[in-house]
Amino acid sequence: MSEFFHQYFDFHIMGAHFSEVLDGFLKNLLLFAVVVVLALAWGLLLALLRQLPGKKLIPIRGLTIAYIDVLRAIPLLIIILLISGGIPYLNFLPKDLRIPQWFGQPDPFWYGVLALTLVYGAYMAEVYRAGIEAVPRGQIEAARSLGMSHGQAMRHIVVPQAVTKIPAPMLNEVISLLKDATLVSVVAYGESVLVGREVLAETFNSSAVLLAGLMFLAITLPGARIVDKLIARNQGKITRGAHIEVA
Amino acid sequence: MAEAMVRLEEIHKRFGDLEVLKGVNLDVAKGEVVCILGPSGSGKSTLLRCVNLLEPPERGEIFLEGHDICKGPGSGTGEASWELDFVRQRVGMVFQQFNLFPHKTVLENVTLAPRQVLGKSRAEAESKAKALLERVGLGDKFGQYPERLSGGQQQRVAIARALAMEPHVMLFDEVTSALDPELVKEVLDTMRELAGEGMTMLVVTHEMGFAREVGDQVVFMDGGVIVEQGRPADVLDNPREERTKKFLGRVLER
Repeated sequence: MSEFFHQYFDFHIMGAHFSEVLDGFLKNLLLFAVVVVLALAWGLLLALLRQLPGKKLIPIRGLTIAYIDVLRAIPLLIIILLISGGIPYLNFLPKDLRIPQWFGQPDPFWYGVLALTLVYGAYMAEVYRAGIEAVPRGQIEAARSLGMSHGQAMRHIVVPQAVTKIPAPMLNEVISLLKDATLVSVVAYGESVLVGREVLAETFNSSAVLLAGLMFLAITLPGARIVDKLIARNQGKITRGAHIEVA
Repeated sequence: MAEAMVRLEEIHKRFGDLEVLKGVNLDVAKGEVVCILGPSGSGKSTLLRCVNLLEPPERGEIFLEGHDICKGPGSGTGEASWELDFVRQRVGMVFQQFNLFPHKTVLENVTLAPRQVLGKSRAEAESKAKALLERVGLGDKFGQYPERLSGGQQQRVAIARALAMEPHVMLFDEVTSALDPELVKEVLDTMRELAGEGMTMLVVTHEMGFAREVGDQVVFMDGGVIVEQGRPADVLDNPREERTKKFLGRVLER
């Protein structure tokens, strides 16, 4: 039992490597923060493209649906490897794009940003879609009957209502994204998991990896509770809404 | 007779295998109030929704102030054709379920389309909206959200919202059917006033009293066709057709 405890909870190793692991974790958070903004925007754009009306726009809808389905069906790790292991060798691209070093961040960071944004944009597009489809059809009809274009109806009527219906599932995606930000360790971005593995390789002890795990817990566990709260609040709203319709 | 405000010629509409409208012809003169009655599934709501192209008809012609709004390759899809702008800015619609925008205040509900579609300034749109809301008796509700209003009040906001676009024709799709009985009158009174001011109105309704009193013409629909039409007194009191008699018998014995 003490061997087990020592393998995972060696406080000496945790203490010695705490600042490195924390530094790596902050890198995870930075990557996460950039991706969350980009993916929320990209996902909304995808969801809107998917909802474009009319026969003429079927190709755009089809391509968008294909993109969303394919990107969700391929393991994220493979997407990361395809991007980090491919883009640097596409010589027709300017060097700034092949090996980006923007804002002082190394190229693995940007490969991670691209891969996570592409994939999580697809996941989030599905969440937005659920929200958009939950807005009653009569809302669009009312907007259209007042002469608003499809775009105006989406912007002023549908999207503002859709986003109020999806905070809980969207926060689930966000938590999931935070955890998946560790996958970028495979392209040698020095985030917490990579730091932990280096310590493991040196000492054959898992405590540094566990330490990284604990840092994630500190953020994701409260996040999960917030999701529960949001779901409860939303259900309260639905019940109240029903009551108002009856009254 | 002067040019009809709305003229429907041989309107056909199907949803999949279901043929909802099987050739409907109807003329509505300027300032006329036409009440459309009929059992559920008779196609009366669909007919109304054809007039502003929410449901573009498959065949037939719709003339609005003499303009054919169904012509051209865009017809049948109902999207992105110039007719759509022409129609929606001339035809206002009020729905059974109100369909107010729940995330906007009463005033914003009424000003949104004039500002976005007609490009009116905020001040201009608001002063017009306030006048309209006062006219429907809601001068004290500008800042409220729809969920705080009764059904009757919501429906009157919806009427003001449609009127803010200065339509030439108003469509009313069973606008009192979702209301508690004691709230029906306030909405009908608003419509009565509107009719008195000379608005051209197409009204799908089950309110026989309203049809009798306000309607210039009553149309009875069943099975996707107009079975009988004429002056309210004729259709409601002396129906010629068997189907009309049956329907009126069922409705009036309630």
